[in-house]
Amino acid sequence: MRFVLQILKEQLLHLNLILRICNYDLKSRYQMHYLGLIWEFITPAMKIIIYWVVFGLGIRGGEPINGTPYIVWLLVGLIPWLFISPSVIQGVNSVYVKINLVSKMKFPVSVLPTISVLSHAFNFLIMLVCLGIVLIILQINPGIHLLQLPYYLLCLFVFLISFTLLGSTISIIIRDFQTMLQSGMRLMFFLTPVFWDPSILAKSYPAILTFLKLNPLYYLIEGFRATFLGEIWFFNDLVYTLYFWSITLFILFVGSFLHMRFRNKFIDYL
Amino acid sequence: MKPKVTMSNVSKKYILYKKQTDKFFDLISSKKRGNTFYALRNISFRVYEGETIGIVGINGSGKSTLSNLLAQVIPPTTGSIELNGESSLIAISVGLNNHLSGIENIKLKCLMHGLSEYQIKKVTPEIIDFADIGKFIDQPVKNYSSGMKARLGFAISVHTNPDILIVDEALSVGDKTFYEKCLRKMNEFKKEGKTIFFISHSISQIRSISDRVLWLSFGKIEEFGETKTVLKNYDSFIKWFNNLSNKEKQQYKDDKLKEQLTEQRVIEGSYSEKGRKMNKQNRNKSFYLESGLLFLLSVSTGLLMFY
Repeated sequence: MRFVLQILKEQLLHLNLILRICNYDLKSRYQMHYLGLIWEFITPAMKIIIYWVVFGLGIRGGEPINGTPYIVWLLVGLIPWLFISPSVIQGVNSVYVKINLVSKMKFPVSVLPTISVLSHAFNFLIMLVCLGIVLIILQINPGIHLLQLPYYLLCLFVFLISFTLLGSTISIIIRDFQTMLQSGMRLMFFLTPVFWDPSILAKSYPAILTFLKLNPLYYLIEGFRATFLGEIWFFNDLVYTLYFWSITLFILFVGSFLHMRFRNKFIDYL
Repeated sequence: MKPKVTMSNVSKKYILYKKQTDKFFDLISSKKRGNTFYALRNISFRVYEGETIGIVGINGSGKSTLSNLLAQVIPPTTGSIELNGESSLIAISVGLNNHLSGIENIKLKCLMHGLSEYQIKKVTPEIIDFADIGKFIDQPVKNYSSGMKARLGFAISVHTNPDILIVDEALSVGDKTFYEKCLRKMNEFKKEGKTIFFISHSISQIRSISDRVLWLSFGKIEEFGETKTVLKNYDSFIKWFNNLSNKEKQQYKDDKLKEQLTEQRVIEGSYSEKGRKMNKQNRNKSFYLESGLLFLLSVSTGLLMFY
């Protein structure tokens, strides 16, 4: 608990610093580009179109899922995914990339993964607004289930910050972790129901579906779907919620412990 | 005068691994791998407000390790360092991002030092003026000459308002005019009661700036005292050393290195060290308990999901 509290304290104490560096990161990311921040929309938009054409029009033939147009159904899962995937990959690498810059000064290293996650969050929030506009245009009303959006956002951020904190330490000590994670995330894209409907699998192979559910990312993606497409509340499946939180907190505990233990030695491992 | 920096029995041990995997196995097993090397051993000194300390020593005597310890870049293996105030390290081109332009580096470094937007706006022209690199300020740092990098690094660090300034050979690449400028700035700092550690191979530079000189030799303090006497002794040592034949030089160095490689009992406050260790164990115990519980919970709920 001590380690976790100290990490949290550092994050809160340096909140101002985190936000300012995020802001700087965003501005500098596309500095050499002519289109600048517009790329923050073009890149995800291209991905969405590709997935929609391939999986929606190509494989499913444009059929809706449970009465929801496929594009909306896809967007609800894909938008969180487009936030999760780069956050995880770059967040895990964040300490490694910046350690040379940071090690010659007093700087709270524990905020680096958070900075990485939050600087991607800007794009995510814009995409959420876009999703809202699409829902309004298509006149899809999420209803009262929309109220659980803050809850799932909390889940998402806590999970991402915990995981990147743990991963950033591991990837300094074992460089292979970063490479492994990159292919791992590509695999995860297919193992979480971003573009496929889990209800089909639930009928034929329920055990396999439960197995896939052990992946915390499944909880997040399905959570966002339940929020926007108005299916169920998060407390309808208490066991699953409990599972998600215990594994997230476990990652946070181990992540803080390892971080505190190795943070002074990071520079020795390069 | 108030003490600004107090080092007591500070040692820094490095473990030299032969293979990448040894590093990893050393973490999980208690078996010793690799050779130990003492970059610094049992260093104790006290430095007061407004003092400038020159640090001299031949290559490999631990000057950079000492400066890194002072800047809190690396932690000491044993012993304690007490600093009253923020320290800032200036070495050649450290902490500059090669892909960013000079002006972006200024902004990023200031941000990381925790300056506000307003302060950065105020301090940026001063830094540019001090660094004096003209139109190159908008170019990526990778195109800079080493002198430009040093000047920019020095200018940024000086303007982030440190209490303890550590200058590690950063001025050796600058020309005379830049050196004069830095000297003026350092004298300004001195008047404000800030402490400066000045590491250089140039005896004349050290002589002109320091109040006291610390002479390091193979990880130990050889002498610490008045500038005149220490520099005289150091000078005569260098002369003596240079007059040795190559074979004798090598012999001398090898002997000293062997000393640094041997695992020697370092002086440590055994009582407090022990107490700290016990405390650490207790803390670790509670961590293992809590994370174990969480792990069990996640496994059991995970299994429950199958029913």
